[in-house]
Amino acid sequence: MDERGEQDPLRDLEQRLERARRAQERNVGGPPAEGGPSVSRGALGLAFRIGLELVVAVVVGTAIGWALDVWLGTRPWLAILFFFLGVGAGMVNVWRAVMGMGMAVGYRKDASPAKEKGADWDDED
Amino acid sequence: MATENPLHQFTIERLIPIHIGKIDASYTNSALLMTIAVVLITAFVVLTTRPAALVPGRWQSVSEMLYEFVADMVDKNAGHGAQAYLPFVFTLFMFILLGNLLGMIPYSFTFTSHIIVTFGMALTVFIGVTLIGIARHGFRFLTLFVPHGVPVVLLVLLVPIELLSYFIRPFTLSIRLFANMMAGHTMLAIFAGFVAVLGIGGILPLAVDVALVLLELLVAVLQAYVFAILTCLYLADALHLH
Repeated sequence: MDERGEQDPLRDLEQRLERARRAQERNVGGPPAEGGPSVSRGALGLAFRIGLELVVAVVVGTAIGWALDVWLGTRPWLAILFFFLGVGAGMVNVWRAVMGMGMAVGYRKDASPAKEKGADWDDED
Repeated sequence: MATENPLHQFTIERLIPIHIGKIDASYTNSALLMTIAVVLITAFVVLTTRPAALVPGRWQSVSEMLYEFVADMVDKNAGHGAQAYLPFVFTLFMFILLGNLLGMIPYSFTFTSHIIVTFGMALTVFIGVTLIGIARHGFRFLTLFVPHGVPVVLLVLLVPIELLSYFIRPFTLSIRLFANMMAGHTMLAIFAGFVAVLGIGGILPLAVDVALVLLELLVAVLQAYVFAILTCLYLADALHLH
């Protein structure tokens, strides 16, 4: 093996290390790295995760209402109220997941979140 | 030719019965698979990174790719300052991934197909993230439940909805993983049951099962990914509020 064969991978490694270090610094100091290659991966993940959102919200909401009813003796009013709250919460969650805002409670941005998220966090900190 | 009950595979069996007072702390097949998962992950990561070569070999590359994959995920989804929680997310991801994949081995057991296991993990994430949020922001954490720029009248309606959608998190997180694993494995068993009964026609359900195994492998990896990425998103909330 000649000299170049031995050095080239090392030089390549140097570059990669440099890149990794920069990414690390960005992570510690600056805004998070820009929205990356995870488009298709993310889309598939999204499809798998929103399916349950609506159903679980309604069921858990109604269950909480039911439990409060039994505890406070107000059957059936709280169960009805929490049923509708659950429907609302489920819709909000699905809406947020689809709009790419995570399922975060209380996100306010609504356009291209991958980039805006970073900007958003910057005014907070 | 009795077709086996497709739900039989989810039976918990006590391998080493242990009873402490009234608590049944037996070592079950579920616990055995968890132990195997933990031992495999630890052995793999420790052994492959043992040489710690500057130019990684094949196995070390695999280890580093897994680590970088999770590090990237935490970086992109939880934002800066979240790197401290990378070890937790990495552990969680690997544990669920191994649990799902080990369950794909015939005659083994899928511990992620039990709601109590996934709910335990989801609740840990939920409580941990909430505590981190409170520790970071104190009372300001509660502003998470107040949407911005909304008239006060609407807040009466919206704050309960936001609260509810926050407390639903551990349920959606756990049911998603559990339901996917349980449904997939039940389906596999049902079609496998048809194979023997139908004789020569059993080729059809067999073909379906082969396709389903591939689908289940995808689901196994994807569900581990979804669980980890949602943990990251929840962390982002707690760390950055909005």
